[in-house]
Amino acid sequence: MMADENTPHVQAKFFTKQSQYSIPDTPYSVPAAVGTSELSSLINQILKGSDDSVDAGIEFDFLLDGEFLRVPLDKHLENRGVSSEDIVEIEFVERQPAPKPEDSLLHDDWVSCLQGCKECILSGSYDNTVRIWTTTGAPLLTIPGHSAPVKCVKWLSGDGGPTCRFISGSHDQTILIWEWHREENSVECVHACRGHAGSVDCIAINEERDKFVSGSWDKMLKLWSAAAVAEGDQEEQLEAPTKKQKISKKVQTRVPVLTLSGHTEGISAAEWLSRSEVCTASWDHTLRLWDMEKATQTSQMQGTKVFLDMSYSLLNRQIVTASADRHLRLWDPRTTDGAIVKCTYTSHNGWVSSVSWSPVNQYLFISGSYDTVMKLWDTRSPKAPLYNMSGHEEKILAVDWSIPSLLLSGAADNHLKVFQYNDEKHGT
Amino acid sequence: MFRLFISGRATRVLTSSSTRNRMSSKSRSKRKPDQFDFVDKGANDSDSSESEESVYSGLEEEPDTSEEDQEQSSDQSDNDSSDNDDDDDDVTLDDKSGLELSTEQRKELSTASDDELNEINDQRYTGNVKSQNRKQRKQITVKTADRPDEYDYDSSDEEDIRNTVGNIPLEWYREYPHIGYDIEGNRLLKPEKGDQLDEFLNKMDNPNYWRTVTNKMTGQNVVLSKEDLGLIQNLQSSKHPDSMAENYQPWIDFFTHEKMIHPVTNHPQHKRSFIPSKWEKLKVGQMVHALKMGWMKPTKAKTEEEEEENFYMLWKEDEESEITRRYRAHLPAPKMPLPSHAESYNPPPEYLLTKEEEEKWQNMEPEERRMNFLPQKYSSLRLVPAYKRFINERFERCLDLYLCPRKPKIRMNINPEDLIPKLPKPRDLQPFPTAQAIVYRGHSDIVRTISVDPTGQWLVSGSDDGSVRFWEVSTGRCMKSITMETGSLGNMCIRSVAWNPHPDVSLVAIAMGQTVILVNPGLGDKMVTNNTDNVLHSFSPTEEESMGKKVYADWSSIDTSDKRFENGFRLLLQHPKEVSQVTWHGRGDYFASVMPKGDSMSVLIHQLSRRRSQNPFNKSKGMVQCVLFHPVRPFLFVATQRYVRVYNLLKQELSKKLMTNCKWVSSMAVHSGGDNIIIGSYDCRLSWFDLDVSTKPYQTLRHHKRAVRAVNYHRKYPLFASASDDGTVIVCHGMVYNDLLKNPLIVPVKILKGHAISHDLGVLDCVFHPSQPWVFSCGADTTIRLFT
Repeated sequence: MMADENTPHVQAKFFTKQSQYSIPDTPYSVPAAVGTSELSSLINQILKGSDDSVDAGIEFDFLLDGEFLRVPLDKHLENRGVSSEDIVEIEFVERQPAPKPEDSLLHDDWVSCLQGCKECILSGSYDNTVRIWTTTGAPLLTIPGHSAPVKCVKWLSGDGGPTCRFISGSHDQTILIWEWHREENSVECVHACRGHAGSVDCIAINEERDKFVSGSWDKMLKLWSAAAVAEGDQEEQLEAPTKKQKISKKVQTRVPVLTLSGHTEGISAAEWLSRSEVCTASWDHTLRLWDMEKATQTSQMQGTKVFLDMSYSLLNRQIVTASADRHLRLWDPRTTDGAIVKCTYTSHNGWVSSVSWSPVNQYLFISGSYDTVMKLWDTRSPKAPLYNMSGHEEKILAVDWSIPSLLLSGAADNHLKVFQYNDEKHGT
Repeated sequence: MFRLFISGRATRVLTSSSTRNRMSSKSRSKRKPDQFDFVDKGANDSDSSESEESVYSGLEEEPDTSEEDQEQSSDQSDNDSSDNDDDDDDVTLDDKSGLELSTEQRKELSTASDDELNEINDQRYTGNVKSQNRKQRKQITVKTADRPDEYDYDSSDEEDIRNTVGNIPLEWYREYPHIGYDIEGNRLLKPEKGDQLDEFLNKMDNPNYWRTVTNKMTGQNVVLSKEDLGLIQNLQSSKHPDSMAENYQPWIDFFTHEKMIHPVTNHPQHKRSFIPSKWEKLKVGQMVHALKMGWMKPTKAKTEEEEEENFYMLWKEDEESEITRRYRAHLPAPKMPLPSHAESYNPPPEYLLTKEEEEKWQNMEPEERRMNFLPQKYSSLRLVPAYKRFINERFERCLDLYLCPRKPKIRMNINPEDLIPKLPKPRDLQPFPTAQAIVYRGHSDIVRTISVDPTGQWLVSGSDDGSVRFWEVSTGRCMKSITMETGSLGNMCIRSVAWNPHPDVSLVAIAMGQTVILVNPGLGDKMVTNNTDNVLHSFSPTEEESMGKKVYADWSSIDTSDKRFENGFRLLLQHPKEVSQVTWHGRGDYFASVMPKGDSMSVLIHQLSRRRSQNPFNKSKGMVQCVLFHPVRPFLFVATQRYVRVYNLLKQELSKKLMTNCKWVSSMAVHSGGDNIIIGSYDCRLSWFDLDVSTKPYQTLRHHKRAVRAVNYHRKYPLFASASDDGTVIVCHGMVYNDLLKNPLIVPVKILKGHAISHDLGVLDCVFHPSQPWVFSCGADTTIRLFT
């Protein structure tokens, strides 16, 4: 196809799993030094030849043996140690669209945690408040309630009903369960979960949404009931944190169902893996798996650095962790032997503070780091991320990808950034 | 040998016989004619076969031929043979007693066969005379078996007995047909003689005529064999008669110069040696007399002890004496350098000094001068004056030589790489902090001091801007800031902060100016903070204790109503002088404060539970830089400018004094085991002391370029760090082994850079995270940095 005969050529065969772009299974001779853009135009030409209905100019990404082509083809083959004499099988997928910065929500203080649900975004801040925003960026509520910076927030039920519930954990060692009446736009603290002796750093709600676990700096993992009414609830007068905020309601104090100890340092992240299994990441360099029904620790994975965050994907059943070094690590909790760290993703320049899997795509996750950059990763590209999303001026403290079309990041510059991500073409 | 012996004997016999010849020459001369009767008959020639019988018969008649006889006859025959040539041979007669051969005799001789003579000669002169004779005799005995063997009764000394007439002149038998008698008394008939014509014919025809002689005794002709002739010729030319004898035999050295085990000579001792010596007898007599008179004392018998001690130093000789060793290790004196161009009487112009140079030379000290003379130029050698300093220089040279001992310099061949200690690679010593992770910003002036809470969640920092800030370690968030009121004392910079190490107490000690403030930060576990407050609040002073004692520091508690209480202030300790450092004991009840200018009160120990202060030292030992509590034992380390003193607080005594070798100690840290301390000093050094080993530094590290401001140990990891004014924090691996025999392993692993230098100050403090291998540092650039 190419005119120049002197340059070395590679026999390449292209295939795809996306049926709308399928092309005939014939090998093509391409110059060895070809890059992604040339290959993309080549595919476009082929597609054009076969079917006129497809419009040209689609950007493709190319995978060789499950890894993205990021350098010229010959260099990639050389790095992989693949002979350029054989026919190279190249898978092509449509390139992930670039996230577009959409909104920036200004807070009064550092944004420490956030989560989105269908239409709303929940964020916790260092000014001891929890805020509710619409996805379009309008502030709905600012909820004072904690007496110390909020460390984690989670939607308990946010699916469109008139009453939404969410949980917040704070430095003041309490977890508050809130009820938000959407129409009245009023919020009510229904339960105060007391028991931790340190700041509550993470909350994880199970799939049935009737239980949640919390991890704290006091090294304890506690299981709580998330039901509206639970045993052992006690009436209590919630202290007003300040005199300005005169919210003085009757809240029920809830005590933990279960307390699990084992970690030797504070717990930084927790995730439910299945109905009864919980994974926790801690500052003591370990990932531990707990069985909540048997109330025991089932296994332990040893790392080398402090874990700052962890995310578990229900799609591929893998864990990605963020550590107090520059790396993200991919773990498979099901393997018991061999290399439990399946892959290391290195591109950040600072501590990686938070990480979140895509809710719809099993290959994608985002990470936020103290180097002020949020990165979109594909698991098949360990050396380079797909996209860097800069915009923050300070340490990113939290990222979230609960809403498939929105990438959220909260940072120490008091901003919560919203990035639009159009991933409809990859509905896998 | 044997052969030689025989010949020797033969010669001896010859000589003796010659003497005998001289003695009885006359009688022999009578007998001589008969001697030729002796003919050996064993080897007759074929041409003389006709005479065979007669010869044999002759033998039969005269069988008693003995050796002696043979010898004698040989002697005679020698003489004879020497005599026997007269005219045609060059043989001359020299013996008077030798026979003169008449023509008849010659005839007789000519008739005798050659081989007979041959045989005779063989018998006489060949080595194996006896054996040959025996052989022949055997032959004879075989032939004359019926006869008795003549040798049975014959002794070899007897004369020729073929003719028994004896030694008489044979002229006497001229008239008779016989010539004598044989041993049995039968006549020996003269052989038939031809006339002159026959003689002539014989002379003409017989080729052996010239060597034919007649045996006078038997009248038989004998032809001399070639050997006989040779013998005769040898005798005539005074050679050894036996032609076979070797004149130059191989030399066998009997009497060697080497000592032999068996003596070659074995002569008996001389008779003299058996006769007692007269002089010895005299001497013994004198000694006996002296003994009797008591002039001489007999030697005492040795006691047993003396005998037992009779042993020798076997290897004594191996040790060289001092003198010989010195001789052996003699070092020649170093040679004087040869004169150079500058010393020439007419040096090249470039060696001459210019005026400025000369002036400079004059102004220099004599020791500093490169040359101890001034080069000078003379047009000729004649004009060179006498060298004034000659004696001086010689004297100095002598002084140099004997005052400065010469020593051989042993050069060691060491690979410089071997001198570098084998240290593990830093990569193998992980974890240790490698990169900057978080910067804690907020202070507006230099941050002097930091401290981490025992759980590792919070960090407290004190700055020159008069504020104390509390930080969240993991995010870099400033959680709380307390600004001190700048009272009348003006600048209130925070000199030292220290978080109470006890996990159940939430207190921070802050040294500011002359006060030490105990602050409850209100961070962390609420229960702990409330408990701390309650404990402090419930304190009731016991009056009797405070009475009658000198009050070193003024304790005052802050009321809950006080505005400062909101900030967390709980207790104030007013000191008489400025406090530079506070440090907590490991249990969290005691803390010490340092007042460098406090003289005898420079160190105070405060007890929190009883709210009282003590002054452990009555006398000032110098300007105290810092103090530290031992982590497990009741020891207090007090660092002055030069020394670190270790006091036992229970016994109230000085237990150790460490020599730091530094000019000014700046900081000190003690290992969690308590046996090792490190000391940083303003002269850029960091010294590691092993208290069990020595009071001198086990190792000194000079990695910093500027003054070391702070040193610290990690509580769990084998790490220590030093902060310096050059803006760096150096992290070292410092492994202390439980094995007492193993020295600590110290490896510098990382230089952490990040702090900017301002006002010539770099990093002022460094603290390790209590559980992670992270180090915090604070500096003059108003920031605190976390390295992970």
